[in-house]
Amino acid sequence: METLKTQQKSLESFFGIGQHTSARLLGRFHIHPTAKVGDLANKQVLDLTAALSGMKIENDLRRQVLDDIKRLRDTGTYRGRRHAVGLPVRGQNTRSQIKTAVKLNRVDRRL
Amino acid sequence: MASHFCYGCLLRLRQMPRVYSMLPGPLVTAPFHTTPPRPANPMARKSRSLEGPPKYRESKSARMRKRKPVERSRPPAVGERKALRKRIVLSNTNALEVPGMQDLSEETMLDSRLRGSVVGLPLPMLNQLLAVQAFKPTQGWSIFRRPGTVLRRETLEMGRLVNRIGEEKGKVFKKIITGVRGSGKSVYLLQAMAMGFLKNWIVVTVPEPQDLVIAHTAYGTLPGSNPVQYVQNAATAALLSRTAIANKEVLSGLHISQNHEGLKSLLQPNMTLEDLARLGVQTPSIAWPVFQALWAELAATEAAGNADIGKPFKPRPPMLVTVDGLSHWMTNSRYRSAEYEPIHAHDLVFVNHFLSLLQPTTSKPTLPNGGLLLYATSASNNPTIYSFDIALKQIIASQNGIDPSSPDFPRLDPYAKIDERVLNLFNNHARSTETGEFEVRSLGGLTTDEARGLLEHFACSGLLREKVTEELVGEKWSLAGGGIIGEMERIARRLRAIV
Repeated sequence: METLKTQQKSLESFFGIGQHTSARLLGRFHIHPTAKVGDLANKQVLDLTAALSGMKIENDLRRQVLDDIKRLRDTGTYRGRRHAVGLPVRGQNTRSQIKTAVKLNRVDRRL
Repeated sequence: MASHFCYGCLLRLRQMPRVYSMLPGPLVTAPFHTTPPRPANPMARKSRSLEGPPKYRESKSARMRKRKPVERSRPPAVGERKALRKRIVLSNTNALEVPGMQDLSEETMLDSRLRGSVVGLPLPMLNQLLAVQAFKPTQGWSIFRRPGTVLRRETLEMGRLVNRIGEEKGKVFKKIITGVRGSGKSVYLLQAMAMGFLKNWIVVTVPEPQDLVIAHTAYGTLPGSNPVQYVQNAATAALLSRTAIANKEVLSGLHISQNHEGLKSLLQPNMTLEDLARLGVQTPSIAWPVFQALWAELAATEAAGNADIGKPFKPRPPMLVTVDGLSHWMTNSRYRSAEYEPIHAHDLVFVNHFLSLLQPTTSKPTLPNGGLLLYATSASNNPTIYSFDIALKQIIASQNGIDPSSPDFPRLDPYAKIDERVLNLFNNHARSTETGEFEVRSLGGLTTDEARGLLEHFACSGLLREKVTEELVGEKWSLAGGGIIGEMERIARRLRAIV
């Protein structure tokens, strides 16, 4: 992590941590939102690392999302089939404007 | 219809040679007008617009011009812009020196003959005032040769009060300063600080209370506090640094006289209070215990046990405590607790310490060695807090002798959102009828005499090139909303551009 970046920004650089989670994490360890990574006390860094290691983020989260899609596909549900053919999953119209679905909805989805 | 004029006669009129005097005559201007001093140039080309009927062989559609690539230089370095914004300039070599300007001194601050004149701040004191951040970048110090302030009625009153506190040991006065925008509240605090430095008091200031609650400095829980309170070590270290630099002379003459359990390993016998304060500046993690120790030392009336071995106990001077912008402390701060609940500003120990000084205390005096507490509100940077406003109104009402049971006494709006903690803070003051020690003081405009003194100072500095007459003073006084000093300054410095 860059030392000059604010702690909030650095937390949000993880896959699976957004504004909501990062703000609560900062509050939990009494870090003010404008704190830079370099300013943190040793204990705060350790606490934060411990908390992050207990959370499902980055590759674990990616794997979970892929597993969920795969499970849908394997059980042969409608949502799974729509993922497999690369079409909208949640009942959208397909007459036009399905570029995003074509791009993203796959069984081996890129995350 | 034929014209009444005979053009032939008109042509025969004797043509007067046109003479333009090179010397401008006396410029006659109306005392008050809104017309610009120079009319617009009629020959200037009108801007081309797309309105109107189409011209010959010209389309009406908007033409897109290719934009030239803008050359971008490097942005200023980190912190440079802020430094420029917060820069304080106290001198302008282009301004004239004002002859006969007196300095603020122990005599002049009591001299009612000088009322309405501008007295200079003593030059050796400027470093101390800068250290406590008494000057604000928005104030117009940079247009004069040297900084000076008007001795207005309230200033002289304060001078007498400061003198009285010096004479009567242990006397404490607490004031909340209110007033409209530009009425001189911050400068009033500055004058108090200057007087404090003159009298060799200890001056402790919080120049930006907002900085403590907007979650821009580090915070942490206070160990062993229940309900949980929060310390701000970086802000406390900054406070210690301000206090140590500004009060160097006084603090270096005083020595440790109390037992400080928490800091025992760090303290040496015969340590001066300045060294004690520096301890907190160097190690921000212990800034709060150090501040408490320093406060206990300054509030001490005698040595405890044998803590003052070597150096005998010296009586502590009175203290001046100023806070500029109180209302920021009357609401939730932007900090969050571990449960992500907003932290109330009163739960920050730093804030709580300074607010608890306002409380009327029966058992223990607030400042045993006497002193003055000045807490100003701000009118330009001011969150609207109903509870605080109504609390101030109630205090003012009881100050004016209105009984709390009478219908004229300001009542709480039953539908408003009330912050009980804020109301409770001022409850004792609002209900008490005896005044004197605690007071809400409202600053208004200058009187015309004081306004004249201010305008004369502008004229002597070369900023105002008009004769300061009764008429001019009256006019500017009215334009400034009845002598609001900030507005007077704006008007007086604007005159320079017009005339």
